[in-house]
Amino acid sequence: MKMKETMKRILTRMLCAACAATGMCVSAQDGVRVRQLGEAVAWGRRPMKEIGVQKTTFDSLALKENIALSMADVLTYNSSVFVKNYGRATLSTVAFRGTSPSHTQVTWNGMRINNPMLGMTDFSTIPSYFIDRASLLHGASSVNESGGGLGGLVRLGTAADVAPGWGVQYVQGIGSFSTFDEFARVTYGSDHWTVSTRAVYSSSPNDYKYRNRDKIMNIYDEDKNIIGRYHPVERNRSGDFKDMHVLQEVYYNTLAGDRLGMNVWFLDSDRGLPLLTTDYSDGLKVENRQHERTFRGVLSWDHSRSNWRTGLRSGYVNTWMAYDYSREVANGVMARMTRSRSRVNTIYGQAEGEYTSDSRKWYFTANVSLYQHFVKSKDKNIITQDGDNAVVGYDKGRVEMSVSASAKWQPVERMGLSLVLREELSGTRWTPVIPALFVDGLISRKGNVTARASVSRNYRFPSLNDLYFLPGGNPSLRDESGLTYDAGVSFDVGKAGVYSAGGSVTWFDSYIDDWIIWLPTTKGFFSPRNMKKVHAYGVEVKGNAAVQLPRGWMIDLSGSYSWTPSVNCGPKLSVADQSVGRQLPYVPRHSASVSGRLTWRSWGFLYKWAFYSKRYTMSSNDTTLSGHLPAYFMSNVAIDKSFSWRPLDMSLKLAVNNLFDEEYLSVLSHPMPGINFEFFISFTPKW
Amino acid sequence: MTVYGGRGWIVVNNSHVVFAIDLTTFKEVGRITGLTSPRYIHFVSDDKAYVTQLWDNRIFIVDPKRYEVTGYITVPDMAMESGSTEQMVQYGKYVYCNCWSYQNSIIKIDTETDRVVDRLEVGVQPESMVMDKFNRIWTVTDGGYEGSPYGQSTPALYRIDAESMIIEQRWDFRKGDEPRSLRLNGARDKIYWINDDVWCMDIAATRLPVRPWLESRGTRYYALTVSPADGDVYVADAIDYQQQGVIYRYSPEARLKDEFYVGVTPGAFCWK
Repeated sequence: MKMKETMKRILTRMLCAACAATGMCVSAQDGVRVRQLGEAVAWGRRPMKEIGVQKTTFDSLALKENIALSMADVLTYNSSVFVKNYGRATLSTVAFRGTSPSHTQVTWNGMRINNPMLGMTDFSTIPSYFIDRASLLHGASSVNESGGGLGGLVRLGTAADVAPGWGVQYVQGIGSFSTFDEFARVTYGSDHWTVSTRAVYSSSPNDYKYRNRDKIMNIYDEDKNIIGRYHPVERNRSGDFKDMHVLQEVYYNTLAGDRLGMNVWFLDSDRGLPLLTTDYSDGLKVENRQHERTFRGVLSWDHSRSNWRTGLRSGYVNTWMAYDYSREVANGVMARMTRSRSRVNTIYGQAEGEYTSDSRKWYFTANVSLYQHFVKSKDKNIITQDGDNAVVGYDKGRVEMSVSASAKWQPVERMGLSLVLREELSGTRWTPVIPALFVDGLISRKGNVTARASVSRNYRFPSLNDLYFLPGGNPSLRDESGLTYDAGVSFDVGKAGVYSAGGSVTWFDSYIDDWIIWLPTTKGFFSPRNMKKVHAYGVEVKGNAAVQLPRGWMIDLSGSYSWTPSVNCGPKLSVADQSVGRQLPYVPRHSASVSGRLTWRSWGFLYKWAFYSKRYTMSSNDTTLSGHLPAYFMSNVAIDKSFSWRPLDMSLKLAVNNLFDEEYLSVLSHPMPGINFEFFISFTPKW
Repeated sequence: MTVYGGRGWIVVNNSHVVFAIDLTTFKEVGRITGLTSPRYIHFVSDDKAYVTQLWDNRIFIVDPKRYEVTGYITVPDMAMESGSTEQMVQYGKYVYCNCWSYQNSIIKIDTETDRVVDRLEVGVQPESMVMDKFNRIWTVTDGGYEGSPYGQSTPALYRIDAESMIIEQRWDFRKGDEPRSLRLNGARDKIYWINDDVWCMDIAATRLPVRPWLESRGTRYYALTVSPADGDVYVADAIDYQQQGVIYRYSPEARLKDEFYVGVTPGAFCWK
């Protein structure tokens, strides 16, 4: 018993230390949840590996806000990145600093999880409850982890933070549009072993109503003359989803400097792809479905000593994806237009080492990672002239390797320098050296006022679809390249148990060459080309403040704002081209998010707000009928209450999304739901 | 789009609808819905029109007065899922239609029985089709693409006798060329098409022209039309397909007379 209590205290302190950067900590006292402010992290204790790094870290309160959220939702309301989606369980992509989603690298427990066919990641397939550690590395900072992140990198991971003994948690959510969300977790922790099993299941017909302002319905007289018109109220068609995720983790800690880990994540997602607002197919049946099954597994070994650490990882990813498009042609008879099938197998291996000098002034790292992708993609529906082998699609493999070495130096306590050199291999082609230089310096101890700056060159390989997709793939595509600078200032102040505040302002400047874009051809299909030079620049501002008030009240606020001009610098495709010098389509010039939490004893109230400015849909930035998406504000609130009894803890939560019932669009011709609700009940037995 | 009966008929492919508009006010006067993936509309009479489809082996028969689908013409030996019927021309009681996407034929339809009565195999993917003043059908094939499951062939221009459905003459382009947008002048004695540049040929010619009628300006011309009134040629440039396209207006002597911006991806013209 004594050992259990000791371990509980140690784990609680570790959790508090991990929350220190955000100034938040939750601990259990007398069965009542109490949140406490930790210390602000002082300059001298910031890790050397973060010299000059522009990073956004998400706290556990943001990640574990409610089980219905995906990482796309977390990023929308807690960061400056642009998240583009068109509703729940739809493709959700993330772009940093005016770049495209394919310029965002994503890692999970160290392994890149960007789809090798598409080059991007669908964040709607990542439940936030499966992620324990999440951070963004902006711009040049991504080179510390991987190449190819011309915009940045999203680093996701799980952690062995479980209480000793057995633990169980179950959460049930019931929401609007017949939406059901379930989450279950079973954990076991001991001195050596940590085991965790998590499962999420979400389902909904998702057939919300909306007024379709892109469609006009006519009222006819007997002679078919139009005598009236109106915008119809319709239901979201083909937007249903059934998503299941299971995450199994096992960690073994020798307590002698070695830790072994196994992380296995299986997802099965069956979704309809919503029809456009301009679809006049009336009552005809349509099947427009996407089905994905993905297995991701990572084995890891970490060996730590006082001055050095080494680690090995190996992993495997298997993805099967299907897209089916069928339409009713007569009396229930369905014609199957498209039956696309893709299979991806990826084998991954990584070795890394870190060394800190005795003087603690030098820190070295080396890392090599290897990916072997095997991809088969085909449309089973295309008639062939030669046997049964469908040849729309491709069957290719590609090896990718990334090698990096870095040196970090802190010549004096107030200053740090870091140099990262990276090389990437794709197939048989190496990129030029990818260098990144970082510097930071403490301007004032009072307030931890710190200045950071970085510069890097980076390259991104075309994806396998870019190169080989039939029809349209272009094997002669060049790599995209980027040159990025950024500089910023941050501060942190606080007093444990009283208040904490922090903020940062960063200016960034990126030049992207040979930007790949898919354009129509005259033969009826699309094909990618290296088309653009883009200059993406701007400012990112972040701030947070938390105050511990008397009688158990606490308030904390966090916000971000981005100003992101992202400009097409040419060349002109023809003398009539009006897009040069214009903002890229779908990149908002301004975006902002704020979240505020008020807690008192076992009550909590959360308000989240996000804003995106006008987004152009035309490369010339014309704003005629379909030329832009208007700016919108989005507000969500949630209220929760915790109960603690001898046998279990229970909590109730009511979440209200789109509080002011805004009509808004994130993507042209895809309506978004109005105000909607979800109620959650959570049980955590105690023993 | 087609102009008929004082109305404009706008075929909106991916939205499964044909809108009818008043040509003066541009206000909708009716619509035909429930179409698979409509491509072109051809009026057989005031009471009957044919609407071709992509992803469907049927041509829809519609009543333009009631804005209703009244029947179908099923194309034999064509699978529903890869079905394609495109443009139409009429000679007497027969309508001729080119079958383009993953197809290789011209079909002949009897408008009295609404049935396919003949079929002529040409090259891979006949993209557009016109009928000259001698009632001969001209079509141009785009040849498909390398790796296409339907094969790739040399793109070619065909002249076909409508009565007998026999190929009279064939002119080959180079493999990899992308000829399209075959159009006639008002007198129906000259054909124009786009193949990177804009080309023009007299219907009595026996050889393809050596020099283009209009050289490419470094962009990709997307569509063209010829004014039936004065022979001016209008060439559409879609630029990047994400901004207003531009129309260049040339005299019959290929002298630039005018240019103006229109909507996104100008793909078709018709004349009031």
